[in-house]
Amino acid sequence: MSGPLELEQVKSALERFGTVEQVRSNRIKVKTVPDKVREALFRAQALLACDHLIQISAMDNGLSFELIYHLTGPHRTVLAIAIELPRERPEMPTTSDILPPAGIYERQIYDLFGIVFTGHPNLKRIILSEDWPEGEYPMRKDWKPKPRTKPGSVGEEVK
Amino acid sequence: MLKVTDSLSRRLANWARVRSPWISVFNTGSCNACDIEVIACLMPRFDVERFGILAKGSPRHADILIVTGPVTRKQESRLRRIWEQMPEPKYVIAMGACGASGGVFQGLYHVVDGGVESVIPVDVFVAGCPPRPDEIINAVVACLGLMKEDLARGGKEWRRKPGEAPREPAEVPA
Amino acid sequence: MPQVILPIGPQHPALKEPVNFKVIVDGETIVGLELDVSYTHRGIEKAAEQRDFIRVVPLLERVCGICSHAHGTAFVMGIEEVMQLEIPPRAQYIRTIVAELERMHSHILWLGVAAHVVGFNTLFMWTWRDRETTQDLLEEMTGNRMNYGINEVGGVRRDLTPGQITSALSRLPKLEEQIAKYVDMVMNQETMLLRFRGIGKLSKAEALKYGTVGPTARASGVDYDIRRDDPYIAYSEIPWKVVTDTSGDVFGRTLVRIGELQESLGIIRYCLEHLPEGQIGVPAPKVAPVAEILSRYEAPRGELVHFIRTNNTDRVERIDIRTPTLANWTSVTVSLVNQNIADIPVIVAAIDPCLSCTSRITILSERGRKTAEMTWDQLSEYGRKSSRERDRC
Repeated sequence: MSGPLELEQVKSALERFGTVEQVRSNRIKVKTVPDKVREALFRAQALLACDHLIQISAMDNGLSFELIYHLTGPHRTVLAIAIELPRERPEMPTTSDILPPAGIYERQIYDLFGIVFTGHPNLKRIILSEDWPEGEYPMRKDWKPKPRTKPGSVGEEVK
Repeated sequence: MLKVTDSLSRRLANWARVRSPWISVFNTGSCNACDIEVIACLMPRFDVERFGILAKGSPRHADILIVTGPVTRKQESRLRRIWEQMPEPKYVIAMGACGASGGVFQGLYHVVDGGVESVIPVDVFVAGCPPRPDEIINAVVACLGLMKEDLARGGKEWRRKPGEAPREPAEVPA
Repeated sequence: MPQVILPIGPQHPALKEPVNFKVIVDGETIVGLELDVSYTHRGIEKAAEQRDFIRVVPLLERVCGICSHAHGTAFVMGIEEVMQLEIPPRAQYIRTIVAELERMHSHILWLGVAAHVVGFNTLFMWTWRDRETTQDLLEEMTGNRMNYGINEVGGVRRDLTPGQITSALSRLPKLEEQIAKYVDMVMNQETMLLRFRGIGKLSKAEALKYGTVGPTARASGVDYDIRRDDPYIAYSEIPWKVVTDTSGDVFGRTLVRIGELQESLGIIRYCLEHLPEGQIGVPAPKVAPVAEILSRYEAPRGELVHFIRTNNTDRVERIDIRTPTLANWTSVTVSLVNQNIADIPVIVAAIDPCLSCTSRITILSERGRKTAEMTWDQLSEYGRKSSRERDRC
């Protein structure tokens, strides 16, 4: 186990992708743009030994979608790579070929937020029920639950 | 009127059912706490087998179905199907606060409103989050009491509340 | 030989949460796996955005009934960090005691289930009997056998009395004795060794590549434990060590879990003996400032992550929960490939997935000609039978 990642190290490796800041001890955040995520992840893996993907957090802040890739490695520092996606066209190249665990998290985000990961080998429904209407993404801020009918009418919505 | 219950084989089957009910557990979206407590019932400390209660994996063999948890949208149709697979007379125990009303999960987008009873008829509710194993045993015993009462009265009809849909008979017609 | 798809679940008695996975088999050998985890999706993350910090803790504890303290603590730790609260050490120690008791109950439960899957029901009964000791301790300390409800933002809700501490300490030696018996059983019983050794192998490189966490990773030699790497609550003050193993199979995972049982017992004893004096909580403000926090917690099954964003109100703007089981699923798909169908129950049980009861397994051919149905019980039985046959030849 090596020591924690230094801010300078991260800056020299990832400065070119966006702003780097130390959030608190052993948490470093990098803000970048969607097109550069793959390259940034690749460099983080190669130069900073960040080979363990903890989580891809997705958020809807009302104006755009935010994705944060949390990475760690033998140094145990959490490196967060954050991006924003436009609401109109939420599309993102997949990272499941660089980091295999990303596959399952991407499917989850696709299901709950409707963010499409282009190039994902198996982007199918994973979380929601099979009778869930297409095109409704419950974790979006503007989504409101609809009342449902009582038994016997599985999957039918009431107006 | 002479009832079907009076034949010897019927009487034997009813006797066996009340003395040794078989239960099946179905998780409709609970947090697992109820399921673990049901398994704890089968274990040496509580050991429901000494009362003749036996846990079965398949609902087709079960007399009593224990439903744990709020009913999620995906499990709703499956719960109905499992209930339909059970042979008559069938009894349902809704476990915990979630089984009764949805509990802490009431009103969530992927949960059916109104607990288990909005999907299938429930005979006994158990309170608690999760209910203790002794309360689960108590509920099964209460369910056996209902079973005996139903046999004496020739069906579940007497328990019907005004405005409720008719219940299935306690006995399958011969 | 045509490939056959074998759907398992959504319900089966060995595990604790409904999940459905389609296993693609060629003869008796597994070639692929696909899963569906949606059966218990309730929409907790959305609901958590609509409740204040007091009401959201009981909701998050019910994400999972087995690791409820894990979810509660991960959340309150995050919020406390955002609010910059200084939590009294007594509260931190009580949280640690409950956390370790929870780990013990979860690991004992897992050992029982694993023993049941391989047909060793004696150990199943033994473990669940001994598990009642931890349940009694939890009930005495927190008031409930499950879903303890001891956490709140700012501290814990119940104090330990000296009587409770002595009574808890007096029951630990018996438990220790029983755990020593499990070690002996797992190491020496042929029943366990035959079914656990060399099954579900995951090398260190694979474990790292597929991002495994918890005992699954530690059994493959990955020295990764949040309790040490990113210490929270009271772990930095307590002497204990991370248990690892290098075998990488189901046997290794069993050894790691039993080792952790012993470590947990030591932690609980240390905490009870060295419980600091003082308050058990501090008053917490109603609102949290704008912030973003990644709260990590070593749950019994591995690293649990709560990503929390607050927005100057009494609610969270977003909470994203990554459970250890989801992180371990990718590795299951790998460790199942090239194994025998008969070993599915053992391998799947070995990551200790949060799955569930009463099952139906349907075997049907890809072209839909052959259809057979199997319950999880039948599959476990089939596993036992074929391992007996393997022995004979």
